[in-house]
Amino acid sequence: MSTLEDDLRRLMANETEKLRVAPDLVDRVLRSSRQKKTNRVRLTALATAVAVAGAVVPVYLVLGPNSVAVQGFGLGEPVAASETSRPDATGQAVPGPPAIDDFPPTPSPTPDLGDLGDGRAFGRVEVGYLPDGLQWSHWSLDSGDSYTTSWNYDGDKNGFYCVQIFVYEGQTVREVDERVRAYREEKEGRDVTIGDRTGYLLRQRVGEDGMKGTPSIFLSVGEGRTAEVMFSPTFAKRLGGERAVDRELKKIAAGLTATG
Amino acid sequence: MSSTEDDGFAAFVAARGTSLLRVAYLACGDEGEAEDLLQTALERTYQNWDRVRYDDPEPYIRRVIVNTSISRARRRAILRIIPMHTPPELPVRETDVDLRHVLMDTLRALPPRQRAVVVLRYWEDLSETQTAEVLGCSAGTVKSQASKALAKLRLASGGESVKGVIRNVHA
Repeated sequence: MSTLEDDLRRLMANETEKLRVAPDLVDRVLRSSRQKKTNRVRLTALATAVAVAGAVVPVYLVLGPNSVAVQGFGLGEPVAASETSRPDATGQAVPGPPAIDDFPPTPSPTPDLGDLGDGRAFGRVEVGYLPDGLQWSHWSLDSGDSYTTSWNYDGDKNGFYCVQIFVYEGQTVREVDERVRAYREEKEGRDVTIGDRTGYLLRQRVGEDGMKGTPSIFLSVGEGRTAEVMFSPTFAKRLGGERAVDRELKKIAAGLTATG
Repeated sequence: MSSTEDDGFAAFVAARGTSLLRVAYLACGDEGEAEDLLQTALERTYQNWDRVRYDDPEPYIRRVIVNTSISRARRRAILRIIPMHTPPELPVRETDVDLRHVLMDTLRALPPRQRAVVVLRYWEDLSETQTAEVLGCSAGTVKSQASKALAKLRLASGGESVKGVIRNVHA
């Protein structure tokens, strides 16, 4: 005798038997994905152009007309060069804002984060503690005022991340402070004490892809610098319960120190 | 992404697209929305294709479809709280075909999570544990949600055999 469950299976099969994907589905997916990617690249490039233009003008104003702004070798911040380094005193020293279609190249992954070594020191922070078994993924991204790197079990830069740390400096500190303020207002997490510092511990993006969210902690690391430590949902699951996850997050946060 | 990877993605969609569209349709109950759900899920998959292609990408896409469907249904439910008009009265059921519609309507009217449980358990034949993984809940929750959903479907069928309904539709 058939059960309601069996009947349901047949009913659903009948209901869907005529459904077929549209022949142009792949084309639509590829087109839409590329369009979104292009838009993202343009927005990033535009934001970079605005940030660079905004930084160049004050430097020029402070140092006077005989100075020139050049791209530094640090984290993408423009630095002021002295008069002696100026290539042509009569030339057009200060670059104007880029033309609308003249976007600067998109920031690309770069190892230029200082001495990454085994991934413990990068940019202007040092990571004092990581859970057992994790290796630096050999991947990092430098976006100027913010930079990030990650760790996983196999050290493969194409592998999934287990732990990722973002460091925010300059203008981006204000943005991340806004995010934390919004989280705090929505009571999505809680303030925690890390030594003599205060951090904010929460689960971000709960429910995305059906997962239980991304365990994260925000913490100030020195003056004008905030770090965001994140665990992938899969890694968090491997660690066990929420208490174990929070404990590990706090230990990483406690081990973060400023190096510059 | 390289053209070889694009070809791999296209081959995957050609092989599994229709099956995934059916999951999307059963999860949301509307053909147009099912196509949109599938396209959304595939776009997200394409963005991560260099990572997910090494494993079986299907569970990932299924998870995106089902959870996006639940999320959209919840948003719509919130909008429905605002009374706009008096809902029409349901016509009296007269035939088995009507009963089939009633059952499908009942399936569509289930709370989104219960509907997802029915689709994943009885259409995709996932175990309670696998269903729980997709939905991000416990196996116990899956069990109780399935039980509630089946009770509603049984009530909607008025105790009549769904098998008879299907037989008559094909007659």
